[in-house]
Amino acid sequence: MGQAFSFAGIFSKLWGVQKEIRILILGLDGAGKTTVLYRLQLGEVVTTKPTIGFNVETLKYKNLTLNIWDLGGQTSIRPYWRCYYSNTAAIIFVVDSTDKDRIDIACKELHTMLKEEELQDSALLVFANKQDQAGAMTAAEVSQALNLTDLKDRSWSIVASSAIKGEGLTEGLDWLMDVIKDEQL
Amino acid sequence: MSTSTYKKQDAYASSGNLPDKMAIFQECLQQFNASPVNAKKCRQLLAKLLRLIYHGEQFPSQESTTLFFSISKLFQHKDSSLRQLVYLTIKELSSTSDDILMVTSSIMRDIQGGDIIYKPNAIRTLSKVLDSTTVNAAERLFKNAIVDKNPVISSAALISSYNLLPNSKEVVKRFTNETLESIQSHKVFPSNQFQLHEFYGNSTSKLPTTSYMYQYHALGLLYHLRNHDKMALMKLITSLSEGSALKNSLSIIQLIKYIHKILIEDEALIGHLYPILAAFLKHKSDMVELEACKTLVSLQHLIKDDQFMAIINTLQKLLGVPRTATRFAAIRLINKISVKHPEKILVVNSELEGLINDENRSISTLAITTLLKTMGAGTIDTGSVGGESVDRLISKMTSLMGEITEDFKIVIIEAIENLALKFPAKHKKLVSFLTDLLRDDGTLPLKTSIVNALFDLIKFLPDAGAKQLILMNLCEFIEDCEFAELSVRILHLLGDEGPHTTNPSYYIRHIYNRLVLENSIVRSSAIIALAKFAAVCGGHVSKNIQILLSRCLNDADDEVRDRAALSLKFIKANHKNFVVSDSKYDLASLESKLTHYLNDESNFDTKFDISEVPLLTSEELKSIEYNRKINKLDSGVTESSDAVGNEDRGKESGDKLSAGDSLSNDLLKQQEYSQELSAIPEFADYGTLSKSTITPVYLTERENEFVVTVIKHFFIDSQKLVLQYNITNTLPRSVLQDISVIAQPDNELYEEDFIIPISELKPDQSGDVYVSFSTPSITDGDILVAFGNTVAYTNKDVIDEEGNVDQRDDGWSDEYQIDDLEVSAGDFETPLYNSNFTAVYDQLDNTDSSVVTISGVDTLDNAITRLKTSLNLMPLDGSDFVPSDATSHVLKLLGKDVWGGKVAVMARLALTGGKVVAKIEAKSETETFSSIITSGAY
Repeated sequence: MGQAFSFAGIFSKLWGVQKEIRILILGLDGAGKTTVLYRLQLGEVVTTKPTIGFNVETLKYKNLTLNIWDLGGQTSIRPYWRCYYSNTAAIIFVVDSTDKDRIDIACKELHTMLKEEELQDSALLVFANKQDQAGAMTAAEVSQALNLTDLKDRSWSIVASSAIKGEGLTEGLDWLMDVIKDEQL
Repeated sequence: MSTSTYKKQDAYASSGNLPDKMAIFQECLQQFNASPVNAKKCRQLLAKLLRLIYHGEQFPSQESTTLFFSISKLFQHKDSSLRQLVYLTIKELSSTSDDILMVTSSIMRDIQGGDIIYKPNAIRTLSKVLDSTTVNAAERLFKNAIVDKNPVISSAALISSYNLLPNSKEVVKRFTNETLESIQSHKVFPSNQFQLHEFYGNSTSKLPTTSYMYQYHALGLLYHLRNHDKMALMKLITSLSEGSALKNSLSIIQLIKYIHKILIEDEALIGHLYPILAAFLKHKSDMVELEACKTLVSLQHLIKDDQFMAIINTLQKLLGVPRTATRFAAIRLINKISVKHPEKILVVNSELEGLINDENRSISTLAITTLLKTMGAGTIDTGSVGGESVDRLISKMTSLMGEITEDFKIVIIEAIENLALKFPAKHKKLVSFLTDLLRDDGTLPLKTSIVNALFDLIKFLPDAGAKQLILMNLCEFIEDCEFAELSVRILHLLGDEGPHTTNPSYYIRHIYNRLVLENSIVRSSAIIALAKFAAVCGGHVSKNIQILLSRCLNDADDEVRDRAALSLKFIKANHKNFVVSDSKYDLASLESKLTHYLNDESNFDTKFDISEVPLLTSEELKSIEYNRKINKLDSGVTESSDAVGNEDRGKESGDKLSAGDSLSNDLLKQQEYSQELSAIPEFADYGTLSKSTITPVYLTERENEFVVTVIKHFFIDSQKLVLQYNITNTLPRSVLQDISVIAQPDNELYEEDFIIPISELKPDQSGDVYVSFSTPSITDGDILVAFGNTVAYTNKDVIDEEGNVDQRDDGWSDEYQIDDLEVSAGDFETPLYNSNFTAVYDQLDNTDSSVVTISGVDTLDNAITRLKTSLNLMPLDGSDFVPSDATSHVLKLLGKDVWGGKVAVMARLALTGGKVVAKIEAKSETETFSSIITSGAY
């Protein structure tokens, strides 16, 4: 019995099937987190309302089972993010690239969050979202505004995206899967 | 062996020990946070957790929060049974965890697109999670769920909306159209609903396709959205009662209850609403029929005789159904009718007789007590025939008495007593029934109730022969009575009543036997009883008793010796009033005076003045007791009929009850007034308050900008009348200042002395304006008056939240005319009881008579109530009961006027052409007062 169990364990590690991977989508309100989530899961754009609380969806991606949590970004809900940090493999941080006024707040929230002990081993993917809109900052600009280069001991990447058009999302997720596979196996 | 197997099979044994709270808590955290989630394990854990919560276990708020967040993680799993349990648990945790809003989005998603299995649960949980800031986001969801084709979802949404009312009424109001649509729609359970469970798997065809329960829920919600708008409510009722709009019987019952509420508030609507109620008298659900009957019975004063028959027919049918609860409800209603209109239910007598042997004790008790009442009515209506039926019933009961338990006997005894009181002519049969019962074996409570009944009969039966008969039976009883407390009470009564009978020596012999045979307690009361005979009868009786008493001076017991010595001393010194007294202090006012005295130590400098406590003559005392007796009979009915509209009408019915409660309450109230008035220096030299009207009269609508009530205070000795206007400011944004009332008398003999105004009334405050008048004396003849009333005040607007006004604002003065106030003959009278009306009536001189039409009433019953209350006299000889088919009636009223004289009124009423005409003959001890009575308008 014990042997069978460990066999299964080894297989699952080898092929990465059984294990569920927990991913959090965070970011300020109106950044497009829910749209990203459902674009990834359903492949289409859904109309969304401000998320009071969270949405959670499971999706299969390249033989991996992803458990994606989209937490609401309103000020009143941000304090609750930390309740969902444990066992998180990766964080997708979505930024509204057109919202120059609040990019500082986004930066602050991001760095506060990354200081949490439970997230020390999580990978970070930043979507510089809403690239379809005029006046959006480029990925490089966003990266600079968020001080991403200051991050040490963490795999991170920034991808320019448009959830509405579906651009950049798969690229980002592909990078994330590679990192997770490397780290977990 | 046997005990242990029993234990194992006991259904409750498995639920014996609750799981350990902390162990469950830890396991929950572990399992719920695991990845991947094991749905089956989590389901079992949630079930255990729920069991703890349902048992009243509570988690401290921090644990509760942790628990909540770990449960919220279960939303990642799609298992619908797990989700269902998650919702149940979150609903329970919602009261203790502050962070409940975190699941809002997830729940809303489930309601939009989730599985039908947990959708209703999700809706119910959502209503707990929402607060006033998030409720708007859910508006669309609720609207969709209310009109959902699935009745289970619709019901869940309707009930949840109802639960949202306290916090977000404005949002729920917007659901009105959807709710209306839902109530009129036809929703069936989805056909696969039951197949989901293996238990129902094969038998779907036998299951109902719908319960229409959503109609009940929708109706409840609609009522709460509309109950402040009478017109809208009437429209709703009319539309729902047409055809068979409502199919669910609970919803029909609820509709009937709402109709009842409306009718209580506005009786004039009976014309519109009666046909609706009558239609429900014939319905396939007995509950609906019962509810319709109940409502109509509680409004019986509004219903015509032929309409009444429809109710009786329905009830008669319901008496025969197999279901015990229905039979009980039906007979209870019949019993209620019998209190007021026994003649109307004569038709069901044969059914009632059958029910005497019903296996259900409550039903048979009600059957007997009801029969006792209808028999009484029968006697009056049909003479000898009814008399026979009383005999039949009594013989039936005598045979039954052997088989039934004591509680039941006590109920029957009370019923017989009431019957004897209401129909004194039948007393002989009933008294002998009671005394026979007294002779049989029985415990103390049974004997006490019989003795109580006999005591009341002695007090209130007009016939001296009846009195004698009961006394003799009681004498016989104490010869062989094992209960000392009963012997003592009977001896006391013999002492009070015996001396006034034709042969006191008969009783003396019996009492003396007690002195020889009984224990010391009975002996000492026997001494006092004997002393009363000596004091009242005097002559040779007194001498003989003195001999008897002096023998007791050697008694072994201290108390007996003391009482004997004291009594002898009083008798010899001829201090009759020390032994027997005609009057008693009013105990309620004595108590309140004493408490008042003891509460303030500064009072202790002066002696307690007992003369301030009203002294009641034995006649007045009897009035109080008689009133209490009669009211006890009726109050049972009033209370239960009030049950429906209680929260709205609690206050009013409270007023009604206390008004009818008893004279002793009135005395207390009067004392309060006199204390209030004596605290005002202007009234200091007015002397004692003779009489105040007890119930305040409303001079405005109760919903007016300011509400005015008035109480009349009469100071007969100093010829003053003080009108106390109580004014309440109901304007939320205005302060009223310098408020006074201008009262314009239409009788020149009344002269205004002064007005004490109110300086200021803030919103929701109330205060009193006093207006004092000098009145004519009774010898002037014309003491009746009507006052035209005008309120004068200065109005200022409130400018800030504390309710202050702008100091520079002078406000504006205004005057407002309110209703007139009449001083009628009734204001000078109090009710009085006497068991022999005719004797009193014949003694009084100063006769006057007049013929009047009693305005605004169309039945004899209402006319009697009108006369009784406007004259404020006591109806005697049961003359306030009218058989419903009678067209003429004689009402006998007795009372006392404020000048101390008796007043008797004989009113011959006749019903002609929908009007009630009365010939009022008034007699009074006080000269000219009888003409005042007859000159009043009714």
